[in-house]
Amino acid sequence: MAVLIALAVVAGIAGYAAARVLLERNTMCRLPFLNVVSFAVTGALMLLLPHPLTIIACAAYFVGSTLESNAIASTWAGGIRKHE
Amino acid sequence: MNEIYAAVFGAMVLLGAVTTALYRDPFDKLISLSLLAAGIFPFLVDRGYLDVAAATALIAPLSTIFILMVIRRKPGGA
Amino acid sequence: MAPEFVLGLLLLVIGSIASAWPVPRTYLARLINLEIPAWGLLLVMLSYDEALALLTFGGVSALSTYIFVRVMEKKGEP
Repeated sequence: MAVLIALAVVAGIAGYAAARVLLERNTMCRLPFLNVVSFAVTGALMLLLPHPLTIIACAAYFVGSTLESNAIASTWAGGIRKHE
Repeated sequence: MNEIYAAVFGAMVLLGAVTTALYRDPFDKLISLSLLAAGIFPFLVDRGYLDVAAATALIAPLSTIFILMVIRRKPGGA
Repeated sequence: MAPEFVLGLLLLVIGSIASAWPVPRTYLARLINLEIPAWGLLLVMLSYDEALALLTFGGVSALSTYIFVRVMEKKGEP
């Protein structure tokens, strides 16, 4: 029962953050909500299937999605500046 | 998976695809594409393919980083 | 019918149309839109329970994106 309540909360957070990502007009305002979406989906993955291998898939998705959104944010902010 | 969660993540996938096709800025396109990928992974895990989900989650950001290498070259892109 | 199958077919149609006529007619928009049918094909393979096809396609998709990026860098911006 507690797992069902937690899954409902996490899916609600994911839907709300996805709606905020799609409705924001500024690109900079979208990026934190993209992180919220990836965290909520990580929690949903963990709660969906009770299996001992789920934690590996969750960790891989957490690392990958955080790397992806941070790469987008870093490139949007100008990237790595070289001394010229 | 319950129908309600399938509807939530399916709507996330569909809206991500439509907005990826319609946005003009490359960064907005990439953000919507990341939203699409986030909606697909619960379907992968729900069918029981945990190894496939782990491999895809580690390979998919590489594709985004390769595309970001092109955006960095454009003069007005950054 | 399984929701993955319907979702994958919808993604294939949306992504093919968006990749054939991208909104800014640049190679970059075409390359980003080409990621949508890749995820759609992944969902269709998922509904047919092909684990080895899923793993192989996930790896080759990132490799083909890298090859397209190298071609675009060598050719220059349109």
